[in-house]
Amino acid sequence: MLFLNHIENAIQSIRSNRLRSILTAIGVTIGIASITAILSLGVGARSIISKQVDELGGTIAVVRPGVPQNTITQNINHLSGSQYAASTLTKQDISSLKKIEHVTEAAPLMILQGAVRGDTTPSSNANIIATSPSLEKINQLKLLDGQFLDPDLIETTAVVGHQLAVDLFGTEQVIGKSVSVRGQSFTIIGVLQPTHAPINFNTVDLDSSVFIGFESGILQNQGTAHIQQINLQVDSVNNLESVVVAANKTLLKNHLNQADFSVMYGDSIAQPNSQLFGIITGVSVAIAAISLIVGGVGIMNIMLVSVAERTREIGIRKAMGATNSTILMQFITESLILSTIGGIVGYGLGYLLAFGVSLLLTFDPAFSWQVAIAALLVSVVTGTLFGAYPAIKAARKDPITALRLYN
Amino acid sequence: MTEKTPPPVIELTNLKKRFGIGDAAHYALDGVDLTVKKGEFIAIMGPSGCGKTTLLNILGLLDGQVEGSYKLNGQPLESLSRRKQSHIRSEQIGFVFQSFNLIPRLTVLENVALPLLYKGDLKIKRLKKASKMLKTFHLGEREFYMPHQLSGGQVQRVAIARALVNEPSIILADEPTGNLDSNASHIIMEELSELHKKGNTIIMVTHNPYLTTYASRVITMLDGKIDTDTFHLPSTPAPYSEKIPLNKTESEGA
Repeated sequence: MLFLNHIENAIQSIRSNRLRSILTAIGVTIGIASITAILSLGVGARSIISKQVDELGGTIAVVRPGVPQNTITQNINHLSGSQYAASTLTKQDISSLKKIEHVTEAAPLMILQGAVRGDTTPSSNANIIATSPSLEKINQLKLLDGQFLDPDLIETTAVVGHQLAVDLFGTEQVIGKSVSVRGQSFTIIGVLQPTHAPINFNTVDLDSSVFIGFESGILQNQGTAHIQQINLQVDSVNNLESVVVAANKTLLKNHLNQADFSVMYGDSIAQPNSQLFGIITGVSVAIAAISLIVGGVGIMNIMLVSVAERTREIGIRKAMGATNSTILMQFITESLILSTIGGIVGYGLGYLLAFGVSLLLTFDPAFSWQVAIAALLVSVVTGTLFGAYPAIKAARKDPITALRLYN
Repeated sequence: MTEKTPPPVIELTNLKKRFGIGDAAHYALDGVDLTVKKGEFIAIMGPSGCGKTTLLNILGLLDGQVEGSYKLNGQPLESLSRRKQSHIRSEQIGFVFQSFNLIPRLTVLENVALPLLYKGDLKIKRLKKASKMLKTFHLGEREFYMPHQLSGGQVQRVAIARALVNEPSIILADEPTGNLDSNASHIIMEELSELHKKGNTIIMVTHNPYLTTYASRVITMLDGKIDTDTFHLPSTPAPYSEKIPLNKTESEGA
C-alpha cells in the first residue's frame, strides 16, 4: 500500500524533472540495449546448430574421432584444427554402425583439402567432401538441379554447393561441366540449393563444398580413409538414446576397447560451437556491463542532487511521521523506476539493434524470456545498487536541520 | 485552567538539552519542568536563543538526544526506538511551522493528506479525510491548487489543516504567524483559538505578545529555563477590522 504510494510519488517527482530523468534513464538504456543485443545475438549464435539438428527431426547422431571433449579449451582446440589429425574412425566402423538396430542411414564425412578448379578459375576456399549417397537423406540436402551422388553412376561424378558453382563457373547452370578436384576431373551431376549456414554440425560450409564419392576420396587420400565424422540417422527420436548406447558399444569393440571416438546427439553436437560462442558472448557482455555501470553512476549522481534539493521535503515528511525506512524506500523506488524504465526501453532498443546487426549475419537473434528477465533483473539491481547510497543519505537526514535549511 | 482532571499530555522533568561538548558545551535547555494538561493552549515566549524552538522540537520528538525525562500521555519516550517515535509523531502530534512547510510539488489536498500516508490509510480514505478537513477551513475550493498559488494566510490554514488531519493529541506551532501580516495572523489565531475551544491541546511558540491573548497559559523562557508561567482565561479576541496595537496586551504576556 505504502509501496504503491512510493511509486506514485516517484513518478510525480520524475515527471517534474522530465528532462533530467530522461537523460538519466538513457544511461541505463544504453547499457541494457547493448547487453540485450549481445545476449540475443549470442544465444542466437549458440542455437544455430541445435536448431539445425532439430530441423532434421532431431533423429541425428554424429560420431567424431577423438575422446569425448567436455572442457571449453578442449573443444576450442577441436574447432581450431584437430580435424587435420589422423582420424581414428575406419571404414569398418561405418558398416558396423549401419547394422545397429533403428539406424536407418549412416554417412561418413571425409573432408579433404586441395585445389578445386572450374574451367579456368581455381577456388581458394573450397572443401572437398568425400561421402556416401546417404548423406542426402540424413542431412535432407535439397538439390537445385540434377541429382546427388549415386552408387550406380561412375566414380568420377561430383555434386557442388551453390556458392562453389558460382565461384568456379560464374553460374549455377553447371550440370555436365567438369570440375578438377586435386587434379582429377569429375563430372558435375548436381547442384545443391544454397543453405546459408556456414556454421553447421558438419563443421564445413556445404555451400562451398564439392561432394565426391567416398571411394574416390579414399583414392585421393593415398588409399586411406580419413573420416572426420559419421552422420547417423535413427528411425525415431525415441530410439536415439538406445542407438547412441549401441553405437558406443559397437565402436568400442571395433577399437579394441579404446574410447578414441565420441558419439554425440542433441545439444552435445552443438557443444563445441556453443561453448565458443558462449565465451565470446560472455566477454562482450562484460564489456557492455561497463556502460551499465556508467549509467548507474548517472542515476546515483542525479539521486544525490535530488536528495539535496528535497532536504526540506524530507524534514517535513519526517515531522509528519515518516520513518527512516519509508524515506529510504521513497528514494530507492525513485531510482528503481528510473532504471527500470531505462531498462525496458533499452531492452526494446537492444532487440532492434540485434535485428539490424543480424541482417549482416547468417543467423537471427534469439527471442528468449531469459534475456528479458536478465535485462529486467540487471536494471532493477542497477537501480537498487546505485540508488542505495543517496537513499540512505536521505533517510539519515536530521529532521530539525532539514527543516531549518531555508528558514 | 479550563480542564477537568485528565492525565497530563506532557510531563517534563528536569529536561536538559546540550549542544557541543567539553569547553564548548552549552545547555539550550537547562532543567525544564513542565506539565501540560489536555485542552491547554500554551503560548511560549522569550527572547531569541532562550530555547523555545528547541523545546518544541523535543516535544515533537524531532530531537531525541536529551537528558531528563519526557512522558507523553504517561509514556516515557527515552526508551522508544526512532521508528516508534515516528509512529507517535504520525498519530499524536501535529506540526505548524512558521514557514508553512508545504511540499511545493504536491497539491493542497495531497499536502493535507500527507500525514495520513504514514499512518497507513488507503489513498481514497486519505483524500476524503483531507478534503473534509480543508472544508472546515473554508479551503474546499482550493483543493487542487498548488501551494504557490495561495496567499500566505491560506497556506498556513492549509498547514493547520494538515496538522489536524490525523487528529493529534497535541498541536505544536512554531511562530505560526511569523511570516504573515496582521490580518492573516488574526485569522490564523482565530482558527487556533477555535481548535482550542474544541478541546485540542496547543503549544505555540511566538514572539508576538499580543498573540498570548488567545492562550490559556503563558510561559516565558530565559536562558534555557522557564522564567514565568501564568494561567489565565483566554480573552475575547479583538475584532477582525481592528488594528492590533502591539503593546495592548503586554501585561498579560509577561
